[in-house]
Amino acid sequence: MTQIYNDPIGHWVVVVVAMALLLFVVLTATAYTVWFERVALGRIQRRPGPNRVGPYGLLQLAADGVKLAFKESFIPEKTDRIIYVLAPTIGVAAAFLAWTVIPIGLWGDLQYWIADVNVGILIIFAVSSLNVYAIVLGGYASNNKYSLLGGLRSAAQLVSYEMALGLALVPTFMIVGSLRLRDIAGFTVSWGPYHGPIPLILLTPLGFIIYLISATAETNRTPFDLPEAEQELIGGFLTEYSGLKFTMYYLAEYLNVITVSTLAVLLFFGGWYLWIVPPVIAFLLKVVLVVFLYIWLRGTFPRLRYDMLMRLGWKFLLPLAIANVVVTAIILVAVT
Amino acid sequence: MAIAVFFIAAAVAILGGVGVVSFHQPIRSVLSLVLVMLALSVIFLLLGAQFVFAVQIIVYAGAVMVLFLFVIALLGPARELGRGRLRYQGWASAVFVLVLLGLMWTMLQGVQYRQPDKTDLNFFGTVQSIAVGLFTTYLYPFELTSILLLVAAIGAIYLSRKRIDESEGGPAEGLRPSAGVGGNLPPHQT
Repeated sequence: MTQIYNDPIGHWVVVVVAMALLLFVVLTATAYTVWFERVALGRIQRRPGPNRVGPYGLLQLAADGVKLAFKESFIPEKTDRIIYVLAPTIGVAAAFLAWTVIPIGLWGDLQYWIADVNVGILIIFAVSSLNVYAIVLGGYASNNKYSLLGGLRSAAQLVSYEMALGLALVPTFMIVGSLRLRDIAGFTVSWGPYHGPIPLILLTPLGFIIYLISATAETNRTPFDLPEAEQELIGGFLTEYSGLKFTMYYLAEYLNVITVSTLAVLLFFGGWYLWIVPPVIAFLLKVVLVVFLYIWLRGTFPRLRYDMLMRLGWKFLLPLAIANVVVTAIILVAVT
Repeated sequence: MAIAVFFIAAAVAILGGVGVVSFHQPIRSVLSLVLVMLALSVIFLLLGAQFVFAVQIIVYAGAVMVLFLFVIALLGPARELGRGRLRYQGWASAVFVLVLLGLMWTMLQGVQYRQPDKTDLNFFGTVQSIAVGLFTTYLYPFELTSILLLVAAIGAIYLSRKRIDESEGGPAEGLRPSAGVGGNLPPHQT
């Protein structure tokens, strides 16, 4: 394996195959996240959810995809067509780019990654910060008041919660001493007789809670889905989009949910380490559990009002995250 | 390989720069500027500066340009007026470009390009090496810059606060910026 990787042509072959494989796996995972969410939400609301297309409704997503692909692709009058078409593609591209640095444990010591960079988590922040362009540009180019309002709300929301999101992870970096995702996932401790991996959520529980809330806001999920709030903004930035462009937004949203869940697993739940369970199964299990947590949040919490959202972000989460950093730093200095 | 990536990134950056000044819709100018930032970040990456690469995208493309976009979206799709240029502006700009090119040409004569001495490129642009620099050699400039930013943030908040009339039960006397020192003037005085 190492020999192929060091060969210049073999290197490219490995990278291209890895990317194609990733595309396939991630797209399938996204489709089944949508199915999983619809079934779980159905159970939460005491209704069956999708159960007609295929066994347990498993082919519902294929049917939806075909339906969306054959829909008329509508472009509003008197608008900037290039930006209107560009906006959803930015969203999908940003969502996929995050996966270039995410490592996945496969079997034993074998792991999968496209790029293992020193600033891994920062690259994820960088590409996910481009996601806001998809929403703001979509809202702007739709030439629709509701879309514009949704886009502007979203710009303010995403920029505000990025701060809390970034600071929530700082204690993790301080404990591990690295921003490389493989180092964080493989963090081990030696406490007395115990020597081995430990989920970091035990060391920074507050960081995880802040991360969970801010990441929900960053992905525009339900307690924080003000940019698309159906009841007040019809659909926000999504209002004028149809057909495949709508599909792209939808894809980007669910892909982002999987990305933040995977990050939560890597950063707080010890990645692919779970006793004697094979790494890939342990990883999948943990990611599914965190995704379920997000669906659960969506099924149980009402949407926040806009001013409450901003107050929560700036006056509660941000100071809490800073305090968490300071307290963790003091404890670290005291211990070492 | 790296040379090819460099020339592509440089060409994208220059095209983006041309786009910023030549588009008539402000939103397209903003997007061109985002393109410039992204191309610059790729060039940073080619130099081995991974941390600066990520920060360039997070800060400039992810935050600063989003605020530009926010303002433009808020003001609506206005087209920049094509008129009102200075006379002979095109010719003057061509002359200035030539002068600038000549200046750069003379300055770049005799510059030798080489790898930096004794620099481990695997460590050079990493978070650790930047942190060591920031918290040892450049600690005072770093902390002073943060104080400067804090002052700017407080000043911006102070200046943008609306002046609240006493009759409407605004904040207590001590919390309110007094008229004349800061805050917006009431309408009848303007």
